[in-house]
Amino acid sequence: MDKFKIFLMPSVCTVFGIIILMLLVFTLNSIAVFKQEGFAIYTTNIWKASEVAEEEYYGILAAIYGTIYTSTIAILISLPISIGLAIFVSDLIPKKIREFFIIPIDVMAGLPTILYGIWGVFILVPSISGIIKFFYERLFFIPLFSYYNPTGFSYLSAGVLLAIMITPFATSLIRESYLAIPNIYREAVYSLGLTRYEATKILLSYIKPAIVAGLLLAFGRAVGETVAVSLVIGNAFNIHPSLFAPGYTISSLIANQFGNAFAYELMPSALFSAGLALFSIGLIVNFAGLIILKRWGYA
Amino acid sequence: MLRELKNRIFICYLLISAILVIFPLLHILFSVFINGVPVVMKYGIDFLTGTLPAPNKPDGGIFPAIYGTFLMVFIASLIGIPLAVLAGVFVAEYPNNTISKATRSLLLIMMEFPTILVGLFVMAIFVVPTGSFSALAGSFALAIVMLPYVATYTEQAMRSVPRQFKEGAYALGLRKCRVVFSITLKIAKKGVVTGLLIGMAKVAGETAPLIFTAGNAWRSTGSVFEPNGAIPLWIYYLIQQPYANYHEIAWGAAFVLMVFFLAIFLPIRFSMVRS
Repeated sequence: MDKFKIFLMPSVCTVFGIIILMLLVFTLNSIAVFKQEGFAIYTTNIWKASEVAEEEYYGILAAIYGTIYTSTIAILISLPISIGLAIFVSDLIPKKIREFFIIPIDVMAGLPTILYGIWGVFILVPSISGIIKFFYERLFFIPLFSYYNPTGFSYLSAGVLLAIMITPFATSLIRESYLAIPNIYREAVYSLGLTRYEATKILLSYIKPAIVAGLLLAFGRAVGETVAVSLVIGNAFNIHPSLFAPGYTISSLIANQFGNAFAYELMPSALFSAGLALFSIGLIVNFAGLIILKRWGYA
Repeated sequence: MLRELKNRIFICYLLISAILVIFPLLHILFSVFINGVPVVMKYGIDFLTGTLPAPNKPDGGIFPAIYGTFLMVFIASLIGIPLAVLAGVFVAEYPNNTISKATRSLLLIMMEFPTILVGLFVMAIFVVPTGSFSALAGSFALAIVMLPYVATYTEQAMRSVPRQFKEGAYALGLRKCRVVFSITLKIAKKGVVTGLLIGMAKVAGETAPLIFTAGNAWRSTGSVFEPNGAIPLWIYYLIQQPYANYHEIAWGAAFVLMVFFLAIFLPIRFSMVRS
């Protein structure tokens, strides 16, 4: 150990310390609710706040459901589009003006999420509520379209907004690995006389792991997104198959309820256990994504 | 024939997906601009120097929010940057060490971590014991969010410094500490500064870590130990109010935030193109 290493050690330890302390804080604060309810906090959909400690009962299944539902909508919309855009930017755009397409995408990937939120509330939700009316009037017998909610605050709005937010990120991951494909392969593929479609299909199979990793990391982003989602999802304890139903996500539940949680005995603990669930999902998804990227030499 | 047709359809798909991405993104920037500029014009310079008006009363401004954002980003940088740069130096200087490999993965994970959890964490360890929301608590949360960006950029910048410079410095008999701080970091300065600015631009727009840490202030500017507002936080709360003039102010604040963000981000991004 040289002196310099010892000098740098505290800062590295602090980074580790923060994460470990975080995990510790979330676990310790969740203990109270686990003692009271056990694992049922994650498997029931009841939210009963009460001044009397014995009558309190919390279950966050609706929030877990909403998180997975909205993130899945976001991924389903975003993935095909971000692959398409990645190929468009790398193959169809001349190298000289490529940056003019990449810069706006980068700007949007870093844009403060509250700007997506304000756009979602005042522009996306009103226009989506029109679409909701249209589908509900014609297809209400299909469960997916069955919930009538003229306000437009719904899983669908949250999912679409999330899709818009994660696409710039997903597309730059895919684009970078697509551009990194060695030229030999490109030349080989085109020398076979394949059309652009056939060639691209083969080249895409080469970066399949990067696409899977991009999907996981984008999913992780969608799961963790808070303010924009909490503004458009409607915030209701609801487990409904319809795209048009309002709901909750774990992060919007925390953002919405934590402010008044300390008025109750058990609610802070319940929300920390929700945080613990989010922590675990975030950790697993991001870790899996990074492992895939590392294993295939993209990061 | 069929091959040709498939190819045509494929190219249409590429074009459509490009439009589907670019259109909403430009629409967001455009909406913030078109809704924000008239508000700022209408309120005049008062918009930047005034405080929040009463519901449905004219005039007023967002000064407490601007003050809070600058204060918290400044303190967060004071806390976060030294820590992050040192951690980045460690990872770059000892790349084969187990700890530094683990640190690198950890930093990448932290970058993607839900920021609301950071806010909750700081609330539990800082706000609850001290008994009050404060700008300092908000700065702690922002420092944690900023850390992985600065550290990762520092590491990458340091690794891109050619070996010859370091070897030359060592050949002169300099100690490792001197080599890193007076040679490598100086050559890597541009990359490190890019990281700092991107980290600052990122946290200036963060809302979630501040909800439970910074508190909020509508009409006053406090010290670091008192609750303070922030632009993103204001927008978040104002949207949820039923008053038309609060919605107006939210759009104006969104425009101001967008200008701040673009003013930091665009020059960095364009300088990356040139190099």
